[in-house]
Amino acid sequence: MSDELAVARAKRVAEMKALPFDGQAYKRLVEAGLIWLRTNQEAVNALNVFPVPDGDTGTNMVLTMQSAYDEIAELGHHKVGDMAAAVSQGALMGARGNSGVILSQIWRGVARGLEDEEVLTGTNLARAFANARDTAYRGVVRPVEGTILTVCKDIATAAEAAREETDCPIEILEKLVAAADISVEHTPELLPVLKDAGVVDSGGMGLYLILEGMIRYIYGEPLDTPTLSVQPMAALEMEKAMHAVEEGQDFEVVVDFYPHDELELKPFYDALEEMGTSIQIGEGDGMYRMHIHVPLENRYLPIDYIMDLGTVTNVAMENLVAQMGELNKDTDYDRLVLHNIDPGEIAIVTVSPGPGISRIFASLGVAAIVEGGQTMNPSTKELLAAFENLPTDKVIILPNNKNIILAAQAARDVTVKEVYVVPSRNIPQGLAAMLMHNPSGDLATVAKRMIKNLDTVRTGEVTTATRTVEIDGVKVKTGEVIALLDGKLVLAAETVEEACLSLLEKADMDEYELVTLYVGGDYSRKEANRVGDLIQEKYPDHEIEMLDGGQPHYQLILSIE
Amino acid sequence: MSKEETTLGSIHISPNAVATIAYHATLRSYGVVGLASRNLASGLAQTITKDPNRGISVRYDEDKIDIDIYIIVQYGTRITSVATSVANIVQFNVEKALGVRVNSIDVHVAGLRVGDDE
Repeated sequence: MSDELAVARAKRVAEMKALPFDGQAYKRLVEAGLIWLRTNQEAVNALNVFPVPDGDTGTNMVLTMQSAYDEIAELGHHKVGDMAAAVSQGALMGARGNSGVILSQIWRGVARGLEDEEVLTGTNLARAFANARDTAYRGVVRPVEGTILTVCKDIATAAEAAREETDCPIEILEKLVAAADISVEHTPELLPVLKDAGVVDSGGMGLYLILEGMIRYIYGEPLDTPTLSVQPMAALEMEKAMHAVEEGQDFEVVVDFYPHDELELKPFYDALEEMGTSIQIGEGDGMYRMHIHVPLENRYLPIDYIMDLGTVTNVAMENLVAQMGELNKDTDYDRLVLHNIDPGEIAIVTVSPGPGISRIFASLGVAAIVEGGQTMNPSTKELLAAFENLPTDKVIILPNNKNIILAAQAARDVTVKEVYVVPSRNIPQGLAAMLMHNPSGDLATVAKRMIKNLDTVRTGEVTTATRTVEIDGVKVKTGEVIALLDGKLVLAAETVEEACLSLLEKADMDEYELVTLYVGGDYSRKEANRVGDLIQEKYPDHEIEMLDGGQPHYQLILSIE
Repeated sequence: MSKEETTLGSIHISPNAVATIAYHATLRSYGVVGLASRNLASGLAQTITKDPNRGISVRYDEDKIDIDIYIIVQYGTRITSVATSVANIVQFNVEKALGVRVNSIDVHVAGLRVGDDE
């Protein structure tokens, strides 16, 4: 298989070499670069270190390249110099974000290097990239190394070195891609923020992908499936990779094996690509794990193929269609249906400490849920991330904890969206506020009504004391059960039920009608039911409701309304 | 003067400090080849300044900061994109360093630099 592929590639390269590298060929190279970058766009976006500057590098670079290609799509120029000039113009017009601007400068430098040239040669290609480097660096007072600038510089250096060996543009392009690859991998060494975040530079990666797309086009390789990646085995989390079963992905096949010889990834991957999709390859201690989704009739193909390559130690095959049905049934927690926001609607972002509570919020129509609570306060950044990508600029945050209100206000202050923080100090308040939600209403009015509704509900919280203390005149010993009413410590007791009943005594029950108990993740449902019965017995006229909250630390959260 | 209270006393951050942060962030921003002297508009000589206080003005309004930046941009770049980047990067760096909210950043493109070979 691999030999055949190599032969096919060599043939294709020979054909390409025989053709003149004129303006039309240059156009196809740019197109290939754009398609390949777009295919890997999300991977580049994921490399972003900063929450703010240059939001999505991948998207910005794709839009810049798209504009460059749109400029030349209809052009019939035969001179490569004219085509390059058009690319440069298009990139300039469409430049988005920092990385897009730098990319447009690179194309501008390339165009200047190719000015008046008829066809692409090794000499003018090397000159083009030297020019690109100079132009790119000229655009900034203090160039930051470890970015796309460094990658561009390394490419130029490689091109100059390669030109001494050959004048074939294809061979030089091959060298450029290799140099870009190394340079990108090296970026964390030059830029500490990248190293801290454990990523390579996104702009540099984007430039590498554009060049790699060009060489893939020359090799005749597909441009519309993301590249192979070998990950540490632990990173292969199969279950989470599946979102929906697409056509031709009936079976998931996972094969562990020790290859007889050094495994050549490229042909291996290419062969698998003929059989199925969602290919992932993991490696650890000389053992490889291959993961693939295949149609029904192909389900034994990958196993047979790998048997020829090495010793198979384990095969796992699962019927995805059947499995998906089960997953959907079992894991309600992971499959929250959040409210889909239409552009311009008000989006509610809420903080939830447990899966059950998340589900209740979701059923009330929140658009985003951030995990967190008493001991795990989400950061401003996490809150921002929750709503930045929602297709609306009207947002209301329900912090549901007094310690998170500040972070929510900070998120409000740094975003460009219009955000109101409804300062709910606990879950029942948050839920009470949700009842006033009207997605298509006026933001300020809705927020006001939600805030007004906060105090219609009283909140009881029952938990175990973690230390001995005296607050508000209540003495508490470690291990005792304590009860808080509206955030204030009101009593300590021996048992949860005692705490609950005494708590309700202090809550002017006559003025309220409904008590809802949210049962904590570590508290047994049976115990909770008993507490519920005791409450009902004592307050026969009140309605008692019991819901799974799933919150940590608090055995029960009570909402009295 | 931006002021923050601690248990021991208060912390003052002078506009000068904010300007210095903004200055360095601006110069690292792609497409910017320098800061322009602020009174450029009033007809004084067009010079690239090295003093952060000349190209950047910082005003406080209670706990909010307003920043004006006067930049010279490389000819041949997309100017609006460069200016947007500058605003983003300065906002990010100032807020990260000081933890104070930046209310507004106005970027004034005071001129273009045409490269030696253009």
